[in-house]
Amino acid sequence: MNWSFKNIFDTGKRPLGGMAWDGQKMLFADVNDNSIRSFDPSTNALSIERKYTNRVNGIAFGDDGALYGCQEGSRRVIRMLNDGSSTSTATHLLGVPHNHPHLIVSDRQGGFLFTDCYHPMLASGPQVFPMLKHQSVLRLHLGPRPQSHWEIQRVTFDTIRPRGVALSPDRKTLYVSDTTNEFGGRREIRAYPIFEDGTLGPFVLFHTFGEDSKGIHRGAEGLTIDQQGNLFAVAGDNRSGPGPMVYIFSPEGQIITTHQLPDCIPTNCAFGGPNLQSLFVSTEDGKLLMTDNASF
Amino acid sequence: MDVDMAVPGFHKVVPSDSKLEVIANDLLFGEGPVWNSKSGEFFWVDIINDTIWKYKKGVGRQIVMRPSYKADGLTFDLEGRLVVAGWAWRRVWRLEHDGSITTLCTEFEGQKLNTPNDIVVKSDGSIYFTDPSGALNNVEMHGDDLQRYMDYHGVFRIDPSGKVTLVVKDFVYPNGLAFSADESLLYINDTRENLIKVYEVNSDGSVQNGRIFCKLVGSEAGVADGMKVDVEGNIYCTGPAGIQIFSPDGNLLGRIKIPGHATNLGFGDDDWKGLYITTYSSVFKVRLGIAGLPVKIN
Repeated sequence: MNWSFKNIFDTGKRPLGGMAWDGQKMLFADVNDNSIRSFDPSTNALSIERKYTNRVNGIAFGDDGALYGCQEGSRRVIRMLNDGSSTSTATHLLGVPHNHPHLIVSDRQGGFLFTDCYHPMLASGPQVFPMLKHQSVLRLHLGPRPQSHWEIQRVTFDTIRPRGVALSPDRKTLYVSDTTNEFGGRREIRAYPIFEDGTLGPFVLFHTFGEDSKGIHRGAEGLTIDQQGNLFAVAGDNRSGPGPMVYIFSPEGQIITTHQLPDCIPTNCAFGGPNLQSLFVSTEDGKLLMTDNASF
Repeated sequence: MDVDMAVPGFHKVVPSDSKLEVIANDLLFGEGPVWNSKSGEFFWVDIINDTIWKYKKGVGRQIVMRPSYKADGLTFDLEGRLVVAGWAWRRVWRLEHDGSITTLCTEFEGQKLNTPNDIVVKSDGSIYFTDPSGALNNVEMHGDDLQRYMDYHGVFRIDPSGKVTLVVKDFVYPNGLAFSADESLLYINDTRENLIKVYEVNSDGSVQNGRIFCKLVGSEAGVADGMKVDVEGNIYCTGPAGIQIFSPDGNLLGRIKIPGHATNLGFGDDDWKGLYITTYSSVFKVRLGIAGLPVKIN
């Protein structure tokens, strides 16, 4: 089935980032505009949901109904409440501040998994705290104390630059895109088994993106899961390789199909719309794309 | 001690035999330097370590308050009470002599303040403070609510009755502020633009005729942050290389090179000729040839 993508919104090259469906609207991060915007497919209304986000990128709703965001400009995951206020969650891994959180997924048990990367733009304020020596997927969750008390644990110990994260419907598999877009770098989509205690087992490699005389084949950034547990990934660009593309993998890791995207540099994907059948794609070159029915 | 002399008379301000004395060197983010002339104690904050400190020669260093709710700029009012630009606590507050806390301002026209940064008390008892939004975003400086509500970074005045008025709102990032000796002029600096503006102060406490007083000099690390004035009208401001000192007509007299990143400065000692300088990690003291304007306590 052929998909046609509509261009919903275009910043004119300013990157768009994380997305989250709130039941009626697709929220999407206009990262360097310091805002979270929304699109309502039933009315086609575009709105600003929140300002002054200091480069929030990845966003996800928690079980508590609050929107959580990876605040790249402040090196923390924040919790944005419906009254318009926001608070911080934990900011330390083993006693020191972590890197710039990038994309995040709810574990649907009150916690989150997020990718924690280096970023070429410095975080706000004095550069007092160095980056961690690793870029990993971190788990954010409420600790055992009776009061709200966030804790962070490291869950991947073998990633170079994790970008996208997605969780299988049974919560037993964590998907990670590990992407360094340089010659000789790693561009992989991995599936890690999740043990009962939240730690991960050895990964299965779903896909790897290559390189040739034309350049690197730009690796996967955002990942998402459909209701059947298929993994959706966006990757590529028009400089080399097969071009900007949506890849769909079965839970076992087979490529079911691919769909070409219009000329863009895709960064993230998320389901929304009626019955969660529309696929939204945000791009580094500032577009929000939508296909009404992402069936295959 | 390393200085850049821009004019021959700079040694009158910073004598050639002045030394950089270390008061503290284990901070995460020093700020808020202020001298208490009644007790002979020097106060400052460590924002990230959430502590208000004081130091007295012969006694050493003591904690005044911990947690300090990420307090930033400090000064004393005419009754000798510590008046605090509350930064991440998003308020201006006062530490009473009995140790209790009085909140002086948390909002303006129905909007929560950003993050009050620096503060000065005028001789009529009114309090002026700058309100950029840095603590909402700065790594490890956060308080309870991180959301910015105001569309501007204001400078506000709390009059002696407690009424709050907006003084100016046309800064990118207002930070340090200081009055001239006769309080006819108010200097306010802008961290992002790395310059100092000066305003004429009206009798009702408002200001007019703002203009750029000077731009900071140099390409080294350092930004316009803390700022104070001496008895001869010279302006001392943090900036590239450390502390920059300007004549009353805005010409650079010289720079005191400070190791690390200077955040603020305050005059002290019995003769007000001690210059106390906070950096991210340290508190330094330099003896000057000219007295600074005192932080008056009646």
